[in-house]
Formats: sequence, structure tokens, C-alpha cells
Amino acid sequence: MSIATADSGRNGIFTPFNLITGAILLGGAIILTIRFTTGLASTTNLSDTNPWGLWIGFDVMAGVALAAGGFVISSAVFLFGMKEYQPVVRPALLTGFLGYALVVIGLLADLGRPWRLPYPFIKQAGPTSPLFEVSLCVALYLTVLFIETTPAVFEWLGLKWWRRLVAQLTIVLTIFGLILSTMHQSTLGAMFMVTPTKLHPLWYSSQIPVQFFVSAIAAGISMIIVEGWFSHRAFHHQVQISDDQFRDINFGLAKGGAVVLVTYLAVKVVALSLENEWRLLATGWGAWYLVELIGFVVTPCILFAVAYRERKLGLARVAAAMTVFGVVLNRFNVTFIAFNWQVPHEMRYAPAWTEVWVTVSLITFAVVVFRWIAHRMPIMYEHPDYPALH
Amino acid sequence: MYYTLFDFLTHTEGATYVLIGVFLIGFIGFWKFLTEREREE
Amino acid sequence: MSMSRRGFVGSLAVGAGALSSGAADAGTIEHFEGYPGRYGLLHDTTLCVGCRSCEVACAKVNALPEPKQPVGDLDVFETVRRSTTTAFTVVNRYQDGDDGNPPIYRKLQCMHCNEPCCAAVCLVHAFTKTPEGPILYDPEVCIGCRYCIMACPYYALSYEYDNPIDPQVLRCTMCYPRIKEGLNPGCADACPAGAITFGRREDLLMVARDRIRKFPDRYINHVFGEYEFGGTSWLMLAGIPFRELDLNEGVTHESLPAIGTSYLSVVPLIVTIYPGLLAAFYAFTKRKDTLAKRELEAALAEARVLGEEEMKAKLSHAAERAKKDKEKAVEVAVRKALAEQGEGGPS
Repeated sequence: MSIATADSGRNGIFTPFNLITGAILLGGAIILTIRFTTGLASTTNLSDTNPWGLWIGFDVMAGVALAAGGFVISSAVFLFGMKEYQPVVRPALLTGFLGYALVVIGLLADLGRPWRLPYPFIKQAGPTSPLFEVSLCVALYLTVLFIETTPAVFEWLGLKWWRRLVAQLTIVLTIFGLILSTMHQSTLGAMFMVTPTKLHPLWYSSQIPVQFFVSAIAAGISMIIVEGWFSHRAFHHQVQISDDQFRDINFGLAKGGAVVLVTYLAVKVVALSLENEWRLLATGWGAWYLVELIGFVVTPCILFAVAYRERKLGLARVAAAMTVFGVVLNRFNVTFIAFNWQVPHEMRYAPAWTEVWVTVSLITFAVVVFRWIAHRMPIMYEHPDYPALH
Repeated sequence: MYYTLFDFLTHTEGATYVLIGVFLIGFIGFWKFLTEREREE
Repeated sequence: MSMSRRGFVGSLAVGAGALSSGAADAGTIEHFEGYPGRYGLLHDTTLCVGCRSCEVACAKVNALPEPKQPVGDLDVFETVRRSTTTAFTVVNRYQDGDDGNPPIYRKLQCMHCNEPCCAAVCLVHAFTKTPEGPILYDPEVCIGCRYCIMACPYYALSYEYDNPIDPQVLRCTMCYPRIKEGLNPGCADACPAGAITFGRREDLLMVARDRIRKFPDRYINHVFGEYEFGGTSWLMLAGIPFRELDLNEGVTHESLPAIGTSYLSVVPLIVTIYPGLLAAFYAFTKRKDTLAKRELEAALAEARVLGEEEMKAKLSHAAERAKKDKEKAVEVAVRKALAEQGEGGPS
């Protein structure tokens, strides 16, 4: 049934990969058990002054941005007709789905009463809250992503009728997904518009929603390149496209990445200009801001451009990794580094090792599940029995 | 009458959410109606 | 008083310039004055002596443990404290009084804003602004996301991080149950120096302005909380710049809910515009594909036809040439025959 060959051919389940990931996941499970039995204080450095830390900063804020590749590539292929990217649609959608699942799991760890997660929809709504909009969109988009990953599952299971049904939904789901993504990617940034005195002016802007949306596109494109970097080697036996085709796809993505990053740069500079914040660049915080902007927006932008022009795949991958890092750094800045910047030093926040471990566990979990699915289901290749979607 | 902006926004934004939800679902029907003849070919 | 803006967000004015509530905009601006006759408190920091009786009274009224640092222990003022889950109000010392001037204290607690941002950002509507003035919190719906704590500009909210079962957001309640019974808040009753006055907010504003007018050398000419971020129930008077009391002067008069939710007017815009726009993109893409396919078919057909016609032309050309050659050959033969006949031929 499956073209994919069996797992690596080693004996037993005690492969190095399984041992390492197993240890990480076990540690994460133990920490979360302590968290749920004794409260957030025992496993986090959160406080009254710093209610949001690494779990919100990475699992929610960065996680949603990094999972943006799904809507970017599906819109490109199905709405704008860029069919040459068809081979990366399924991996990107799977990354997106697992990314958003990670967001929800991370949220369940962070919420004071996670069993009340559905309350905004079933008990009482607070429609004035940007977070209400985010939770509504994320819930709907997770559903959209879930349905968009089912074709591969149905092909794997041989459920032809189901597969045909969901294939017909592709366009509607893609449009709906783009609507939802535009909204919640932007609104995650908009959540900070209510904190003008707590977020440093270099990061605070009335345009922060646009900044979050554009940087999410850059992050999504970069994650497709990064994910392809590992998948292409790990699943080489399944891949049907030629090396040239694979390289062309990467260079096309690099070109897109360059354009999006230069756009993002322009949007950030415009925000500085509108608020007349140039002199702030000369401060300590300004230096840190420039590290984020020059080091992880301008630099990968140039690297993407050069990689595309000179057809250097390695350079494109470095640029992609830097972009991902830069978006994560930006989300950290907005959530807990440049946030509360005026608070006395002894009351500032730094993540506890338990928070880091749980975050790493969640990422590991996503990687393990991705690998499991991609080994068995037609993600990296097209099932011979089924026509390509649209 | 609304004494605070908060109460006003709670009401208006809540109603608007419902409105746009109805619009989204209705748009699908509208689009199907619009392109029905195309699909008959 | 607060306004709602559609779409555009005012920016933070640092320093002197603060947006006045009436001037800038025309058109669809709603004015919200808040519940008439609602209560407030006036905190005159020039009268506060740092006795912390308010802290003790607050703990008693709310059934909280007594303050860890007993009254009279001056070491407590070495650090700047904030409210916690077990201390809804604290008094901090902002000036030592070493230079001959008396030390200056300020009491911190929830400001019970006119337009509370904690309420505006709560995704389950757990906060309510009551007609009497205090903001109430409903632990029955709270999911513990702590966005309210992130948003509060006065750092007034605390959370029970050590509670895995039913953690709550805790803060000063302006003694709502007592107010409903016609009593004063605990802190107002306990203050021996008259630094806390409870009454209707509109009355307290007049009292405050009156004091400033009577003693212009004693007070900074500003009632903090009248308009900041839409105004608060707690009003402050001070003899030193409010900035030195850790209060953000010069913030906009626009309420935080107005700022924080003005973006949300974009959301319906995206939902209403994207479907038509994206359907159009999809239609363009399909149309391009169809046209490309048609062009290809036409080109193929043309090539086929051209090929046929070319063949026909070639054949007829060759046939004509063959015919001409034949005619020519016949002509040559006839001439030859005639020539032979003319020359002699058979007799």
C-alpha cells in the first residue's frame, strides 16, 4: 500500500533517534505532571509582573508564525496557480497542522484553567478582546488544516470516496484558511496595542498587526525551506521530483523570501519614521533592536537574494534558518524581553529550565509525529492511484 | 443606553462577529448560484 | 469620558502633548460619560504619612493575612512593592525625606478605570464595570489566560500561580460589598491622615481642584486620573511630579479599550473583502489556464492545417512542374519532328 519503505531497517525501537526523543518527551511529561498537580509556580518563572513567558512567547506567538507555511503555499498553488510548488504543499500543510496543534498543547500547559479552553465559545464570550478573535480563528484554522491533511490519510487508507470529497473542498478551505490566517497572524500582534506603556516604543507601533502578518509569511516560507532541508534527505527514497526540480522550488521560495523580507524591513522603517523614533536607535535598546533588524531581517534578505541569483542552495538554507530565528526573536522581544522594559532589573523575567524543557518537548513531539506520518503516508510523494489535487 | 465604551463595544463587536459569520457562509451559496451555468457546461 | 474610533489608532504622546477628548475627530464619534454618580476615591499624597493602616484594614476586610512586614517597620520602604494575591494594596515611599523635606508616600491598588482595559481584553468577559464604580471579576468564567494582567498599565492584578485547581485573578475590589451597604471602603475609613477620601467621582474632582486652587504651592496643578487612559476612579494629588511617584504622566486621554480594540474593526473588513477578492484571483488563475490550454490547442490545430496545406501546395507545385516538364518535352519532340520533316524527310 505504501511506497515508503519501512523505518530505517535498524533492529528494535531503541534507535538513537528514539532514545533521545523519548528521553526529552519523558522529561516533558514529568514536568507537565508537576505543573498540573502543583500549579504554574513550580515549573515556571512567571510572576504577577510577568504573566507571559516562554510558553506564550514561543509556543503561541512564535509557533503560529512558524506554522504559516501552510496558508502561504496552498494559496500560491491553488489560488495563484503556481503549480510548480505542488510537491511542497503537503509537507507545508502537515508542518502547519502540527504547528498549530503544538500551539494548542502549549496553551493547555500555560492556561490557569486549561479545561476551560472552550469557554469563550460555550460559556461566555468577550468579543472586545483580540484574544477572543485569535482563539476563534485558531480553532477554525486548526480544523481547516486538519481537513487539508486528510487527503493523504485517506489515500493511505484507500478511502477513495472520502478522499474525493475532501479534494473538492480544497479551494474553499484554501480561501477560508487565508482569511483566517490573515486575521489571527495580525491580531496576535494587535494584542499588544493595549500596552503602550509596557512595550518598548521601538517595538510598539499602531502597525504591529501588519508587521506580525508580513513576518509570518517570511517565517512560513523559511520553514518550508528548513523542513525540506531535513525531509529531502530523510525521505529521499520517497521523493519523486528531480534534484533540479527540488532546487528550483527552493530558489523560488528564496526569491519570495527576499521580497517579503524587504517588504517587512520597509514596514518596520516606516513605523520608526511615523513615530519619529530615530534617536531611540542610539540607545541600548536601540542597539538590541538593530541586532534584530539588521542581523535577522536585512542579512537574510540579502542572503536570499544572492542565493537566488547565484543559485546557491546552501546559502538559501542559511537565510531561511536566520529568518526563522529572527521571527522567534521578534516574538520574544514583544512578549517578554522588550515588554516590561522599564520594570526594575530584579523583577524581570527569564525562562526556567523547566519551561525550556517543555517547549523543546513540544517541538520534539511535532518532529516525531511528522516523521511517523511522512514515513507512512503520501506526503513527500504522490500516490499513484490518485490524481493531483486541482 | 451604554454608559461605557466597553459595554458599547461588547454589544457591537459581538453583533458584528455574528454578521460576518453569516456573510461567510452566505457567500459560498452566492458563489455557487453565480457560477451554476459555468459548471453545467 | 471616552471615545470610540473606527479604524485609526491614536498614538501614545510621550511628554506634555496629550490628546484632548473633544477636538480631533468629526463624524461618528460616540461619547461615553460613564455611569452618572459613580463613586471614586481621592488620594492626596501630600497628606500620606506612610502609616500603612490602609494595608491592615484592607487585609482585615478581605480576610487576607496581615501584612508580613508589621506597621512601624520602616525597612519595608527600602524596596518598591506591588500588590500581590495576599496584599491588595501597598504603600511605597518614593522620597526619603533626607533633605529636610518630609518623605513622600503613595498607596497603590487597582485604579478602577472608567474604561477598564482588563475588561476589554478578557476573552470571556470576566470583568464588569458596575454603575457604582468598582470593577468586578467573575472567577466562574475565568480561564486563566492572564491577558488582563499583561494589559493593566498600573500593574494592579495578581494571579495565584501556586494554585492548580481554581487559580484566580486577585486585586482591590473597592470594597464593593461594603459600598452596596452604604459603608466606605476599608482603607478610606482607616486612614488617620485624611489622605483617602471616598465619595462621588464628580464631587471628588471638585474637591481636588479646590485644594489645588487654595494651595497652589503645595500641589502640582494636575489631578492624576481625571483623563489618563480615559480616566480612573482613583484620583491623585501630589506635591512632586507624578512621574516620580511611578505614575505615567502625559499618556493619551484615549482609553486603552479604544486603542486596543480599534484594530478589531479591520477584522470584519478582511472577512467581507477577502472572499470576493480571492475568488477573483482563483477565477483569474483558472481563466489563464483555460486560455493557455485553448491557445495551445489552436496552435496545434493550426500547425496541423498548415502542415496539410503545405503538403498540398508542394504536391500541386511538383505536379505542375512535372506537367510543365512534360509539356516542354512534348514541345521539344514536336519541334524536332517538324524540323526533320522540313529538312528532307521521307520522299
